[in-house]
Amino acid sequence: MWKTIFRRILIMIPELIILSLIVFILAKAMPGDPFTGSINPRSNPAQIHHLMQVNGLYDPWYQQYWNWVVHLFHGDLGTSYEYQEPVTTLLMQRGANTLWLGIFIVIMMYVIGLPLGIYAGRHENKLPDHIIRAYTYITMAIPLFVVLVIGIWIFAYGLNLFPTSGSISPTANGFWPSVFSRFYHIALPGMLVALFSTVNIVQYLRSEVIDAKHSDYVKTARAKGVPMKEIYRHHIFRNSLLPIAAFAGYSITGVLDGQIFAEMIFSYPGMGLLFLNAINYRDYTVITVLVLIFGFLNLMGTLLSDIILAVVDPRVRVE
Amino acid sequence: MNKRKWLAAGLVAVSALALAACGNKSSNGPTAKPASMQSTYSATGPANGNNSTLKVAEINDAPFKGISLAVLQDNAEDQDVYSPGGEDQLFNNDKNFKITDGGLANQRLNNSAKTDTITLRSDAKWSDGSKVTARDIEYPYEIIANKNTTSQQYSADFTDIKGMAAYHTGKASTISGFTYPHGQNGNQLVIHFSSMKPAMKYSGNSFIWGTVAPYEKLKNVPIAKLASADEVRKNPVFIGPYKLASQVTGESTSWVPNKYYYGPAPKIKHITIQVVSSNNSTAAFKSKKFDFNMQTAPSSQYKNLKAIKGYTLVGTPALSYGYFGFNLGHFDTKTGLNVMDKNAKMGNKNLRQAMMYALDLTKTYNKLENGVAWHANTLIPPVFKQYYDAKEPGYNYNMSKAQSLLKAAGYKKKGKWYVQPNGKPLTIYYGVMTGSSVSEAIYQYELQQWHKLGLNVQFTTGKPMEMNSFYSTLQAPKQNKIDIFDAAWSLSSEPTPTQLYGEDAPFNSGHFVSAKNTQLMNNMNNSKAFNESYRIKQFYAWQKYMNQQAAYVPDEFSLNYTPVNNRVKNFNKAAWYITLPQFWDNLGLTSSSMK
Repeated sequence: MWKTIFRRILIMIPELIILSLIVFILAKAMPGDPFTGSINPRSNPAQIHHLMQVNGLYDPWYQQYWNWVVHLFHGDLGTSYEYQEPVTTLLMQRGANTLWLGIFIVIMMYVIGLPLGIYAGRHENKLPDHIIRAYTYITMAIPLFVVLVIGIWIFAYGLNLFPTSGSISPTANGFWPSVFSRFYHIALPGMLVALFSTVNIVQYLRSEVIDAKHSDYVKTARAKGVPMKEIYRHHIFRNSLLPIAAFAGYSITGVLDGQIFAEMIFSYPGMGLLFLNAINYRDYTVITVLVLIFGFLNLMGTLLSDIILAVVDPRVRVE
Repeated sequence: MNKRKWLAAGLVAVSALALAACGNKSSNGPTAKPASMQSTYSATGPANGNNSTLKVAEINDAPFKGISLAVLQDNAEDQDVYSPGGEDQLFNNDKNFKITDGGLANQRLNNSAKTDTITLRSDAKWSDGSKVTARDIEYPYEIIANKNTTSQQYSADFTDIKGMAAYHTGKASTISGFTYPHGQNGNQLVIHFSSMKPAMKYSGNSFIWGTVAPYEKLKNVPIAKLASADEVRKNPVFIGPYKLASQVTGESTSWVPNKYYYGPAPKIKHITIQVVSSNNSTAAFKSKKFDFNMQTAPSSQYKNLKAIKGYTLVGTPALSYGYFGFNLGHFDTKTGLNVMDKNAKMGNKNLRQAMMYALDLTKTYNKLENGVAWHANTLIPPVFKQYYDAKEPGYNYNMSKAQSLLKAAGYKKKGKWYVQPNGKPLTIYYGVMTGSSVSEAIYQYELQQWHKLGLNVQFTTGKPMEMNSFYSTLQAPKQNKIDIFDAAWSLSSEPTPTQLYGEDAPFNSGHFVSAKNTQLMNNMNNSKAFNESYRIKQFYAWQKYMNQQAAYVPDEFSLNYTPVNNRVKNFNKAAWYITLPQFWDNLGLTSSSMK
């Protein structure tokens, strides 16, 4: 397995190179430049021209790409034109925020989704199953941004129960107040996103539980007089988790992808909002690095899912 | 505000609703008026809430950058969130943006010696207790002109300072035009110019930089890396009434009184400024999360904001305007001059005027903008009280006049559309930027009116353009994709328009050039213009002339306004523009919770 994992990682290298090339060329093909957006009546086009030159933005794309690669191998991801600080610093700031929110969402998704899926499967076609299925259909049908807008309106502005923007209170001082403030700020967007993203987990799990319930090994166990509780715990649950494990890798690596809608509506400065702004401002250095990171995370997600599946299901071997 | 207030390029600040109600009757009345809105607010009663927190909103859809040093800032958000620190502001100004005594420093212009002597007050200190020195006044010029700078502020006008050009090109390591009568650590700096300009008397002029920078604190940081240095982002010092207590990068800043501030002791114990997205700003005020906001509130939210109990709307005319521009030529990159093309499609003045007379923008704005934005009549906005010509009629709706102007110029109708005097078909391409649904509705209204006039006007690319595409197209030295465009400028507090409409101005995107235009703009800053009434006359004459030529036609003025909670004392929106430290040091609170 290790050999295969190593080989898969090696394959990622040309994939990432091709991805970086495509992103680099497409980013440069976008109209505009990083400096035009901040012109004012006193701006000197000669100075803007000078800044473009200093930053090598007039060089042919392959030369710019080569410079970028050379810097990359020196650990320098470049400087954001918009924020005027190193991309690594920006990524650390925004990545940390996204990580908090992303982990919270993933945990909540599984905390909500797993019991609901099992419960619905166990009580197939009974009232709880109908209610849970209705919940998943509704959450699947309503666009997330609508939920977020209504959520912030009711719970944050209407009932004043949650903060409306930012990742931490400006007045939070000290370790525990800061931790509490961070949780307080991600609680509402995190819960809303999690509540409206559980459809896959619930539906996969439900159908797997139903399948497992009717499988021979369950029938045998029941015939042997094993209590249903034990059957669920030791047989059905583990087998039903296989499809969930198949996309667990994506869920883990997807934590850093950012939640564009939640970040926009809650003014939460994470990776999603950074990506969106970078495109608007033609912040090439940030765009390129973020797309590469997102691409890498996706590739890693695939690999991780395969590994998890192999660990969970003895029948699957990564070869 | 004494400094540049940036153009968020593409932000045409129009906002309105549906346009179906805009009729076609002639409206020959005067240009629309702004909503009646007070520019100050002060809660009555004792300042019992000064020990609590003043909560301020920064309405913005992206995190702020976090550059606290005024000379490096290139956006309004950073200026706003660090403004309680005084934005390094050097001078006080009066309501006409004229530099006055009493700020961190005073200036004395000497026209015969061609010098400006800037003298710091004796108690001028940074918030860490260190003295503000003459070198701190000079250092921003080095930052701006350094060849490795990340600043975009360097302009040709700075070359009027002796030695500036040599420093900028790297031929000299210092700027020879600065002298220190009492040494670099003294309180006086003398700037030597090659020529003196009347604009130098005003804040925001492009010859004298109006902020300081803490040289001792920054001297070890290479200028190219200043914008990302901890001295600028994490541990900055300020000269204003408040100093930074803490900040969350991109999200909020927190302020406490600065005991070294030269002015009256600040009154409020704690201030927070927090970014809130434009979509949520009204709801935030409804739930009393903020006392007031920094950027202007959206005009479409005027009625909602007005209805919120416990708040009063306060506003002043904005330092900005929207305008139409016509493509009349090209920019000659060899000579660095704009050139009008003889056969330009929009070269006929009658055609341009007719297009403007076909629009009833007065009625449109009156009906849809709640008075927060209104039909502009000149290219100088009313915030410049002494230069703005309120009596200039501008372009008021008159469809029959529009028709007759076209006919008089030889345009003839062939079927549905007018054709050019030479008989060739006439298709006019209108370049606009994507904006709110409201602004796009206004664009549709404009197309509808031009079609009604008989002109085949179409959007460039068939729809409003993304901002970067718009400016990429418009700023090409020569382009024929946009014949008429709608854009906006945010202005500095010194209104000389040469850098927008001059013969050598690359931002003169319509490439309008005439001897009279050049002369009138030169007159604004010639030696005679030190006489204020002469200068005012030149501004008036220029506004009239530009309206007659219709190469650039103003379309929108607006108010910069905010709801202010009724616990806030001494809120003066005008002071925000004029003298920032005073705006903040005056504020007080009558109660610890919002009303």
